[in-house]
Amino acid sequence: MMAPLSPALLRAVAETLARIPVDPADLPAIQAQLAAQGDGLARLDALDLSAVEPATVLLPPVEGQR
Amino acid sequence: MTAPDLTALSIAEAAAQIVRRALSPVELTRAYLDRIHRLDGQFGAYMTVLEAPALAAAATAEREIAQGRSRGPLHGIPIALKDLIQTKGIRTTCGSTVLRDWVPEADAAVVRRLAEAGAILLGKLQLHEFAFGPTGVNPHYGTPKNPWDRACMPGGSSSGSGVAVAAGLAAAALGTDTGGSIRIPASLCGIVGLKATYGRVSRAGVLPLAWSLDHIGPMTRTVADAALMLQALVGPDPADPSTVERPVPDFHAATRGEVRGLRVGLPRELFFDHLDPDVDAGVKAAARALEGLGVAAEEVSLPGMGDAAAATFAIIAAESMAYHGPLLRRHSASYGADVRTRLLAGQFVLATQYVNAQRIRRVIRAGVDKVLTGVDALLLPTTPIPAPRIEEREATVDGITQDVRAWLTRCTRPFNLTGHPTLSVPCGLTRGGLPIGLQLVGRMFDEGTLLRLGAAYEAVSPLRGRRPPEP
Repeated sequence: MMAPLSPALLRAVAETLARIPVDPADLPAIQAQLAAQGDGLARLDALDLSAVEPATVLLPPVEGQR
Repeated sequence: MTAPDLTALSIAEAAAQIVRRALSPVELTRAYLDRIHRLDGQFGAYMTVLEAPALAAAATAEREIAQGRSRGPLHGIPIALKDLIQTKGIRTTCGSTVLRDWVPEADAAVVRRLAEAGAILLGKLQLHEFAFGPTGVNPHYGTPKNPWDRACMPGGSSSGSGVAVAAGLAAAALGTDTGGSIRIPASLCGIVGLKATYGRVSRAGVLPLAWSLDHIGPMTRTVADAALMLQALVGPDPADPSTVERPVPDFHAATRGEVRGLRVGLPRELFFDHLDPDVDAGVKAAARALEGLGVAAEEVSLPGMGDAAAATFAIIAAESMAYHGPLLRRHSASYGADVRTRLLAGQFVLATQYVNAQRIRRVIRAGVDKVLTGVDALLLPTTPIPAPRIEEREATVDGITQDVRAWLTRCTRPFNLTGHPTLSVPCGLTRGGLPIGLQLVGRMFDEGTLLRLGAAYEAVSPLRGRRPPEP
């Protein structure tokens, strides 16, 4: 089981790298979601995908002006 | 003698009457509007009702048909749209207070196509905020009520679409589907939901959740109606580079095709694990019913499905955060807590995890393609559980307790990852009276076979012709 990332680390990454202010009250829910997916994401990293290219990422459709 | 309930007609039935001028589109539209006024206060499916424009459009349709200028089976049919789909001059909230007053300047491509086919727009429908959630619970505008039990979730994210069609408040609706958002409410509300192959239907003008997983499709009361809607929606669109030029069959004709000799595969992995016992029994009974029609059913192996959840999480998280980041920087407090925290989690998915998710995606898609060389379609449940109660956050099956969002999306999201066409058809009720959904998955661009199987099954389904109780 992956160790959960600390709220302090989550907040630092969000505010420093993504430049999105985070309400400390949101951090436990974010932490729980990442913890729930942590093992699955770690498994993806562990797969032998050396012969596999990524699926093509298509351009997004044109959006209306907002 | 009481007047016939026009809102009980399928699109195919209404269209047949309209074209021979036995039914007026104005009369039909008025019947739906009356029903919306009478009942939607109890269901909460609509965000916006377009009474005057709908009646005006119906009058135009009536005139054109009287002049011998019928546009086809959707001409004069009242439909509604998930409020994520942009409509020119009509407020499009996306289920969020962030866009409470947004009035787009252009219609989405699918709106233009339905208008060209002569469909009448009754209004815009409720959804999970920004389509990011499978429950349909919306903290801003209220949660639509499941017509089979108003204490239960409608499913999402196309919650209003599922409720409106099931409750007879629209003849059909459009939904969008990034992890199951057409099929989940279709399953929970006891209607038909069709997610066509990725690239069949233009996404231009629909607010994105995750570009590489988003699909748009019809939600209807019958499989034949889904075919009629799909016919109007498909085709390439220069505004959406994911759309492709492919032959378009007569989808409605496909619903009348013979199924004897077709083969369906029941996956051994993942999809039949830990099902609510009534769902398990209902889906297996549906497989036996198809066997009774001459369809061969066999177990198949779908390797790699165990990684689908993590891959989907990485892709949705990264793509949705890429889109919503600028909005969150300005309006973070206006988002509901569940969607805001799900979006914010996307900041912590590494770029390498996103790329690896796209690599495993290729492997999973190749695995599904390979299995579909041996069978014509896969057969599985749409959701492992029936509609939870609105306040429920977790559900327990076989002693395993999980977030209801994880339960609801388990069987649907792998096919957003692969892009295969997928049809959800009602296949019975639980002992508690809640609908069960059967999911059929077909080869790329082979919606015809799904519609053929779905219509054949529907004709013998225990839920055929059943409507939810009137409030």
